[in-house]
Amino acid sequence: MTLSLQLFLASGGILWLTGLYGLWRNSDPIRRIISLNIMGSGVFLVMVTLARRETSTDPVLHALVVTGLVVAVSATAFALRLAVASQQEKR
Amino acid sequence: MMTDIQTILPVAIVLSSLIPGLLIFSLKESQHRLRITLNLAGVFSKLLLVGWMLHGVSQGQQFSFNITFLPGADLILQGDALSLQFVALSSVLWLATTIYAIGYLEGSAFRSRFFGYFSLCVSATVGLALAGNLVTFLVFYELLTLATFPLVVHRGTDAAIRAGKVYLAYTVSGGVLVLMGVALLHALAGTPDFIPGGYLSPLVDQHQAGLTLAFVLMVLGLGVKAALLPVHGWLPQAMVAPAPVSALLHAVAVVKAGAFGIIRLVYDVYGIETLSLLQLTEGLMILAAATIIYGSIRALQQTEIKKRLAYSTVSQVSYITLGVAMLGPIAAIGALVHLVHQGLMKITLFFCAGNFAETLNIHHIREMNGLGQRMPLTMAAFTIGALGMIGVPPIAGFISKWYLGLGALETGQSWILWVFVCSGLLNAAYFLPLLYRGWFAKPAVEWAAHPQAKRPASVWNETHWMLLWPTLFTALLAIVTGILAGSDFSPLAWAQLIVAREFAP
Amino acid sequence: MNAALVSMVVPFFAAMLVLMWRPQQQSWLVIVASIVSLLAAMMALLSVIDSGPQSLNLGGWESPLAIRFQLMPVNALLIVTTAVIHLIVVCFAASSHHCQSIKQAFWPLALLLHGSLVALWLSMDLFNWYVTLELLGLAAVSLVTLAGHKALRAALDYLLLSLFASLTYLLGVVMLYGQYGTLDIALLATLTEADRVTQTALLLISAGLMLKAALWPLHLWLPAAHSSAPTPVSALLSALVVKAPLFILWLLWSRVAPSELAVPMGFWLALLGGGALMIGGWSACRTPHLKTLVAYSTVAQLGYGLLALGLLLHWQLNDLQAALWLFVVAHALAKTSMFLAAGEIQASTGKKRLNSLRGMTLTMPVALFAFAVAGGSLIGLPPSGGFIAKWLLIQPMLIEPAHWPWALLVIIATLLSAAYVFRVVSQGFRQSSVSATATEHGKSAQWLALLPAILVWLMALFSEPLLQLMDVFSA
Repeated sequence: MTLSLQLFLASGGILWLTGLYGLWRNSDPIRRIISLNIMGSGVFLVMVTLARRETSTDPVLHALVVTGLVVAVSATAFALRLAVASQQEKR
Repeated sequence: MMTDIQTILPVAIVLSSLIPGLLIFSLKESQHRLRITLNLAGVFSKLLLVGWMLHGVSQGQQFSFNITFLPGADLILQGDALSLQFVALSSVLWLATTIYAIGYLEGSAFRSRFFGYFSLCVSATVGLALAGNLVTFLVFYELLTLATFPLVVHRGTDAAIRAGKVYLAYTVSGGVLVLMGVALLHALAGTPDFIPGGYLSPLVDQHQAGLTLAFVLMVLGLGVKAALLPVHGWLPQAMVAPAPVSALLHAVAVVKAGAFGIIRLVYDVYGIETLSLLQLTEGLMILAAATIIYGSIRALQQTEIKKRLAYSTVSQVSYITLGVAMLGPIAAIGALVHLVHQGLMKITLFFCAGNFAETLNIHHIREMNGLGQRMPLTMAAFTIGALGMIGVPPIAGFISKWYLGLGALETGQSWILWVFVCSGLLNAAYFLPLLYRGWFAKPAVEWAAHPQAKRPASVWNETHWMLLWPTLFTALLAIVTGILAGSDFSPLAWAQLIVAREFAP
Repeated sequence: MNAALVSMVVPFFAAMLVLMWRPQQQSWLVIVASIVSLLAAMMALLSVIDSGPQSLNLGGWESPLAIRFQLMPVNALLIVTTAVIHLIVVCFAASSHHCQSIKQAFWPLALLLHGSLVALWLSMDLFNWYVTLELLGLAAVSLVTLAGHKALRAALDYLLLSLFASLTYLLGVVMLYGQYGTLDIALLATLTEADRVTQTALLLISAGLMLKAALWPLHLWLPAAHSSAPTPVSALLSALVVKAPLFILWLLWSRVAPSELAVPMGFWLALLGGGALMIGGWSACRTPHLKTLVAYSTVAQLGYGLLALGLLLHWQLNDLQAALWLFVVAHALAKTSMFLAAGEIQASTGKKRLNSLRGMTLTMPVALFAFAVAGGSLIGLPPSGGFIAKWLLIQPMLIEPAHWPWALLVIIATLLSAAYVFRVVSQGFRQSSVSATATEHGKSAQWLALLPAILVWLMALFSEPLLQLMDVFSA
């Protein structure tokens, strides 16, 4: 495993941890949703990096990332809608 | 053909109260005729079936029914001599109590609920008596707890709910201890059928700690229902329940379920040999003796009639445990016959207390003054019960105390005789004043002002006939079993039959 | 296998149908779909009994690329349980007087939840579990929002925590894939070694799953979400949804994890289970609200599952999986009954507090009876399903004197559960100051609430075939 790959892996991990920190520190729903997306990006970064760990690209991981992105987008949309609704309720 | 009946009969005995009970739940309050019919049909069919089985067992037939349940532990209902002693007692007393309860609750609310649970209780008691192994016993033991709770809180007042919670706290904890003990024994030895002489003797060397722990757990757990000393506190509290409940359940069925469990445990699970090797009965004996004395002293301190009777129950039921713990055959006869005799006498006393409360609203001892003039028949029944408790011949209580005393001598535990003497004196001390007040004192102002205070024309009308007749019936039984103790059909003869089978080499 | 697939596809298909076609009588379509799914599930169970475990590679791919479905006795049983509970719950929702206000969205969402659950039980693949967990989470959160505005906040918290847990799970899965190059459980089981990456990955996955299953101490979201949801939804969530992560957790640690890691982890899981039993039980004894009490009881009862799982791993004792899954099934049935009864009572009195139950033995006897009967199984009174599970759990604890402290834990847990069940029941026996009269309407809903409670007691009669089923599997 090359150094640059390790660098990518490490950034993925750092992104995940950053998202975790954001989720833990914030109470505002929008910020928490963004933090979750940052966590997600970290995981996806790790996935695409791992796909390059052998000479040929691993298609399985790419497929997984695509699936993961679809899930993340729909979940985020739903979460945003809920956040808006609950804000309106408060007002 | 005969074999079919031998399988079905034990289940039929349980179902004969269970099915009417379940049907009664579905009835509306107003359908009281149908409810009474169902109740009586249940009572009489049960009596018939029990009589049939009694006859069969005395002829040496085997009755057994089983279905698979847990791995290595089927649900078994079987009739042996010991279970029938208890089944017969509860069935006969169920008859008396059902009639009493119909009279007692006439016109009050929630009768369908009451009689439904009442029948369930009797089913659980009978099932527990017929249980053929420890797991089956456990099942019915827990069901009995569940079915009695609604009866304790029946009145729904704050006091009743409080007492119900205390009752549950004790009985559920006890149930958990029994469960743990049964599970522990199952882990060590499996769950074979009850067998005279027990089945644990091969394990004594290897699993001494496990067997000891299981015994302690189960005796503590059963001790809750049998009202043994540190865990007896629920019994006086549960007296808030309606009189028939106190009479049948708290004086007879529930406490006897505990005592009966101890009998099973000592004779048919551990066996006398194993227990003397493990040296566990010494502690049980001391505990029972302490309960006898303690219960009597506390009874002396009570000013309410029902509370005094409750503590008297605490004391008297421990005679059974003590007799069992002595491990001798004569003491065993005493214990087994006391199971029946105490039931007859105590239910009479509770019926009387209920009659006093129902007719003249008398709850305290000081209000009993001169009651003999107004309610001579009830007071006479009360006298029979009380004298029997003290141990005056020829009433039933004398017989059991006689055998227990002989048993103490036989096993060389002469200190127990002193316990009996002491307790007998205390019994006299807390019962005789009541009799004196009832017969010889001037009528108390409390009831003299009661609208019902005037004596009716006929003595038979001193209270509702459904309250009076069951009382007289059980009082009569208490005398008859005492006088005819020597005959072939008395509880004593049956106890001797049990002991002959249990102690057979 | 085909029957199991039918049991999964029918709810999905019916959900689509309901969404697109929007028939007038949605409830009937949903009930029919649930019945079909239940029949298929039963056929699947029978086929497992007849011919043993079966597997299917989706789309005809070969392993390691294939996504594999497998039908085993345990998940066949779970599929049947899922179908039974869904059928009862949708019937309840259709018949209860108080569920009329539930929006039409309930029907397709409930079907979606059903299908996702069956898909999860059938999957044997780490990533497919991620997808099904997400489906399940989204359906569950949407169902919670049906309770209206007041539930939105709880729903949002539930969603965010669920997404966070999924990402934690996903990171662990990716690490495992990076290490071993496969997502299939059976293949992973042959490859895993006790190294640091594997350990970290397993711990991440477990943390995510435990959060989703509300296993103590990650349970804080559950009482709010489950008690604010509409009644049929609460029942589905407590009975089924929280069990899904437990299933994955079990397969992961008992199959995939090497025993060097599983044995010490088992100890900690068992301790956490004990914590859940204590804290959950205690909270249930303290809360003033009826539905919150039932929700805390879920937290406590999940502790039994975790305890059984932990001890199974710690002692490497496969017998305990029968205890684990009987707990899950018994709890699912009992909890359905409890939530339906509690919801029906709460809806008819219009009050959330426990003391509004006064006099319920007169006004709603069947609902209160259902609550008590279901509670009996939670306490573990014989002869109920809960009793059998507990019996199997305590047997290995008792046989060794060194294990007796665990039995003490079970004793305390039993007493706590008895305390919170009878807290409710004794309120019902209290005399009511207002002279309430029995309400005739809503009778069928009350009986439906009683049905699963009766089923859980009937489990005791069928304990032998059930245990045989489990034995087939462990052999």
